[in-house]
Formats: sequence, C-alpha cells, structure tokens
Amino acid sequence: MTPSVETHNLTVIYDKKPAVWNIDFTLPTGKIIGIMGPNGSGKSTLLKAIMGIIEPNIGYSKIFDQELDDVRTRVSYVPQRQSVDWDFPASVKDVVAMGRFATKGMFKRLNSEDNKIIEESLQKVNMLSFSNRQISQLSGGQQQRVFLARAIAQNADIYLMDEPFVGVDAGTEQAIINLLKSMRDAGKTLLVVHHDLHTAQDYFEHMVLLNTRLVAEGPTEKVFTKEILTETYGGTLTTLSKVASLLKEKDFPMRHK
Amino acid sequence: MEFFTEIASFFTFSEPNVKVVFWGSLILCAISGLVGTFTLLRKRALIGDVISHSVLPGIALAFIIGQQKNPLYLIIGAAISGWISTYLVDYITKHSKIKNDTAIALILSVFFGAGVLLLTHIQHSGNAAQSGLDQFIFGRASAMNMNDVWLFTIVGSIITLLIVVFFRGLSLLSFDESYSQSIGFPNEILKLILSITTVITVAMGVQAVGVVLMSALLITPAACAKFWTNNIIHLAILAVILSGLAGVLGSAISYTYNGMPTGPWIVVVISVFAFISAFIGSKNGLAKKVLQRNQNNKKILRENTIKLFYNPDEGETLSYPFDTVFQKSNMHRNTLKKGLNMLKSEGLLKVTNGAYKPTELGVKESKAIVRKHRLWELYISRFMHLQPDHVHDDAEGIEHVITPEIERELEKELDFPTRDPHDSEIPY
Ligand SMILES: Nc1ncnc2c1ncn2[C@@H]1O[C@H](COP(=O)(O)OP(=O)(O)OP(=O)(O)O)[C@@H](O)[C@H]1O
Ligand SMILES: [Mg+2]
Repeated sequence: MTPSVETHNLTVIYDKKPAVWNIDFTLPTGKIIGIMGPNGSGKSTLLKAIMGIIEPNIGYSKIFDQELDDVRTRVSYVPQRQSVDWDFPASVKDVVAMGRFATKGMFKRLNSEDNKIIEESLQKVNMLSFSNRQISQLSGGQQQRVFLARAIAQNADIYLMDEPFVGVDAGTEQAIINLLKSMRDAGKTLLVVHHDLHTAQDYFEHMVLLNTRLVAEGPTEKVFTKEILTETYGGTLTTLSKVASLLKEKDFPMRHK
Repeated sequence: MEFFTEIASFFTFSEPNVKVVFWGSLILCAISGLVGTFTLLRKRALIGDVISHSVLPGIALAFIIGQQKNPLYLIIGAAISGWISTYLVDYITKHSKIKNDTAIALILSVFFGAGVLLLTHIQHSGNAAQSGLDQFIFGRASAMNMNDVWLFTIVGSIITLLIVVFFRGLSLLSFDESYSQSIGFPNEILKLILSITTVITVAMGVQAVGVVLMSALLITPAACAKFWTNNIIHLAILAVILSGLAGVLGSAISYTYNGMPTGPWIVVVISVFAFISAFIGSKNGLAKKVLQRNQNNKKILRENTIKLFYNPDEGETLSYPFDTVFQKSNMHRNTLKKGLNMLKSEGLLKVTNGAYKPTELGVKESKAIVRKHRLWELYISRFMHLQPDHVHDDAEGIEHVITPEIERELEKELDFPTRDPHDSEIPY
C-alpha cells in the first residue's frame, strides 16, 4: 500500500528558532491520524510544510509517494480557524465554493455540478440552512463547519486539518468526528491536529507525537503510553534550541551534502 | 449663487480644460477604488501610505532627468521609487529585528524627506517647466492635460482588466492566503499583480490627489462600500462608483474655488460618503441600529402597557381609570400615557369617561404577553434549575423577544403546561 504522507528530515527554522526538527515518518492511508503535542510544538508548521505553504529549510515530504504538485487535487488543507479574518465580505456559500477552485482553477466558471457538490458539502456538516448567512455572523463552531465543508467540496483523498475541534461544543465535536469516520470509511486519509488527550484514544487509530522533534509515531495502542506522553508534554529541549540558534547565527551547514 | 453657477459651468464643460479635469479625476479615482478594495481587504492600508509618500523622490528625479513634465516619465519614476519602498519594507521586516510598523514609518519618512529635498532643489534651480511639480504634494487636477488623461485611460484599462481576470485568485488570496497556496494558486504572482497595480495607481493618482492623501483615496472608498454590502464583487463595484463620484465632485469644488488643491477636496467628499455610510449603511450602520432600538423600545412599552390590563378571571372586562392603571404600573407617568395612547390608536383599548377598557383584541394581546412571560419562567426554572423566585426578572425582558415560533417550541418542550412556577395559570 502506498503511504499517505512521508517526510524525510523535515526541518523548519523561523528566526533562528526551530519549529520542527528533523521529522522522519511514513504514515498509512485510510486512517484517522492524530497529530498531538503541546502549544508551539510545531504541529501547524508541520502541516504547512507538508502543504508547501512554507518551504522547509531541510528535508522534503511526499504525498501518495509523489510530489505535492502532482497530487494537489487529491489533497485538502483545513487551516486553523483563527488564521483568517471572518469579517470578510463573503457568505457561507462563497467560502465553500472556494473548495471547488481546487479543481476549477482560477478562471473556469463553476457550473451546476459544482453547485450540487457545494450543497452536498454544506448538508454533510449540517449548515445548508446557513448558505446565505454572512460569515461574519457565524459562531466559532459554525465557522469550523464551514471550513470543513470547503474541504469536503474539494473531494480530495487526504485531508490535513489544523485543530478542527477548537472552540466547538461537545455536540458539534461529536458530529464532526462522526463525519470524519464516515470519510475514513470511504477510504480517505485524515491527518488531524488535536489537543485533547482524553478523546485522542477514541478518535485516532494512528498518532504522531510532536515536540519540535518527532517523539513517536505509530498505531495508537503502541504510542499512546505514559512514557511517551510525558516525553511529549514534558517541556522543550532547550539545548536543541540553543544549537539551532548557533547554527543559524554562524551560518553553519546543518548537514554535509 | 455664484457657487452654483460656477459648479454648473464645471459640469457643462464650458472651459476646455474642465473636460480634462473631469475625465482625469473620474478615471484615477475609479481605479484607486478598485485597487484599494484589495488593499483594504488584505489589511495593507499602511503599505498604501508608504507607497504614496515614497513616489515623491521618483517624480522629482524623473523631472530632473527628463527636464520636463512628461507624464509617462513621471509615472515611471514614481512607480519605481514606490516599488523600491515596498520592497525595502518587506526586506527589513524579514531580515532584521525591526518590526513591520517601524519599518513602514522609517521608509516612509526617509523617502518623503528625500522627495521634498529634491523638489526644493528643483524649485531653486528656476526651471520654468517646474510649475505643477510641487502640486504633487496636495494634488492639482487642473494641472492635468489631455495626454495625461489618455495615459490614465490606457493604463487604467490594463489594471482593471488584470483585476477582473484574476478576481477569483485575488479574493481568495485576501481571505485565506494559506488555503490559496494549498490549492496551488500562484500566490506570488497574485501578490505581484496587487503590488504592481497599487504602485502604478498611486503613481498616477498623486497627480490629482497628491502624495499626502493618496492612501486615503485607496482605502476610504472600499471602507465606505463595506457598510453597504457583504459581497466582494458588489463591494468592488460600489467602491469604484463612490470613488469616481468623489473624484468628480471634489475636482468640481476645487475648480470652483480656483486655486484650491484637488486632493483634499476629493478626500473630503469621500469622507463625507464614509460618514453617511456609517450612519445609514444598510448592514451595520448607525441608523439601522437606532431604528432597531426605537422599534424595540416601542414594542416593549406596548407590551408592558397591555399587560397591565390582564385579567385572569374570564367574564366581563373591566375599565380602569388612569390612576388605577398608573398605580399598577411602575412606569413614568408620561411613558404610561404614551403607551396608552399607542394602544388606543391601535384599537387595543377604548376610553370612556377617562377610564380605559381593553377591546377583544386587547384582551387577547394581554393574554399573549402574560403567556409568554409565564412559559419562559417555567422554561428557565425547569431547564436552568433556577429557583421560582429568581425567574421573574429574566422573563420581564425575554417575554418581548419571544417570537411565535419560539413560543410554539416552548409549549412543545414543556408539554403544554397550564401553571407557571408560582402556580399561576398560564392563559391560552
Ligand atoms: N511565522 C512565524 N515566524 C516566527 N516564528 C513562528 C512563526 N510561526 C510559528 N512560529 C514559532 O514556531 C513554533 C511552532 O509553531 P506552530 O504554530 O507550528 O506550533 P503549534 O504546535 O501549531 O502550536 P499551537 O498548538 O499553539 O497551535 C512556535 O514556537 C512559534 O512561536
Ligand atoms: Mg497550531
């Protein structure tokens, strides 16, 4: 089976501070995969590097064993909800329509087929009755569902979601996880950044535990152990940061080619 | 009177130059409304300010090199120095500890200072063709000529075409840059299109508006339009219309008061538009809010007044003299009078010999409001576990916002109750 996502020595450094450091993993397809780690551990950065939104300083990643550009239409990214200004002149439907731009590109008009997909996506997240609502007038949970609908409208094979459960109530969270499970059952792969340790075991079959470096990766029953969690959440490696800043400052090569 | 004949003479194009001013201002302002829509949505207002101040040295240098006021040279000079300034701001922000706002302030003052210095130098050199150059600071539409207008038309058409063709990409870039990148839209090219169009628009616009106020002309039209619409296409179109209108009116006024700079007038007009929009704009304008509040207050007064006539005993309806009603209420005397008059005019009350008596409709209304009140009391005491003596105040407020749909839901959820938490009857 082809792996869904693989990364090789993936390293991203912002202003002398490493955000992710030497991440190496190969993830399975058709699973709901959790990415967990404390605040600032590089979860968002990892997703962005995989999506080509930021250029890694070192290393590379592949999706379905191919370059991102060759499989882009099969990949969907759900940014952190707080990363956009919701006071933008657009309706719920306008935002979900953006999901269709992935296949339509910048110039092709959306047709009735697209509109059908948009409606179905809204239906799936139970937001159809909000189609014409201004996005500035949505609650946090509704915003999150609009972002999910946009991703669903892309009709991709793998979804990378940055904290889809933040700020949603328990009912909505349950509805979302059920939706993700039905997507998984349809053969999709879902990478989900998540914060809540209590629910992690129920939600994910596979996990990536991150704290700037990769602490562990594997099936949940193997990696969701007390020792690994302590290592993940037990503070940052200050020496690693110091070494990284030295490298940057002195312009040392990090790896001899 | 003279003012109006002067204004009228502007719009009849009685002087040949007026036509130039009219079309020049219209085109420039319309384009800056269009380009500025994205400046606003991308929250790049400060960058607009940097560019507009930084075109000044470019204009001066173009003049020194070309030794004349050739519009094409000036625009190219302006565009180049405007471009360098944004590049420098980005470079400094990225590669040094200096923060973005500091970099902006730094570049803006350095470039503007250099521009003023160069202009002073040109003026002292006594070149006859210099006239009009210092007007780049505050703008002077009347200094434009037909060549300028042609140039604006051609360049403006290209800018408009670019923005229309790439509209989808530019909108997505403005809303969600990461997502745009993730679906493979060429973010770098889109950003380049926006920077180029902004720089060129500013370079042309300073002729009419001047460097000091150019950034206001970029941002204000779209900010104005945002009060009226929530659709990005409508927003852009409205910004173009408002801005074009402000351009024409502003230059007409400045023409009438001969010698006044155009820029400030255009900006004054567009600011008036903004003020009006903020006040009566359909979406979240002040007028709408005031209106809504007025309506709410009326509704509350009306319902509180009719409630005073609620009579739990079926049978004949009683009449109450004003003082009895007044004692029952805890309203101000005049407020109560207002409420009573309102009900009278709506046919809910009848007055005979100074005594008020509810009509059939009035009885129904009074029951309805009491019903809503008691349903709500029951609802919160049951579902929020509040003590019966705590629910009254809440219900006093909520009873007025309960719509028929909600009332039906409450009834259903409470299984059509007959008694409220204080054991009073719920009237149907
Ligand atoms: N654009 C940026 N410039 C500089 N540093 C950044 C930038 N983005 C993130 N960082 C830093 O990189 C580190 C990793 O950030 P990242 O957002 O990936 O963490 P995260 O795991 O997603 O955190 P959270 O749980 O808070 O979302 C943090 O220390 C953060 O401060
Ligand atoms: Mg994050």
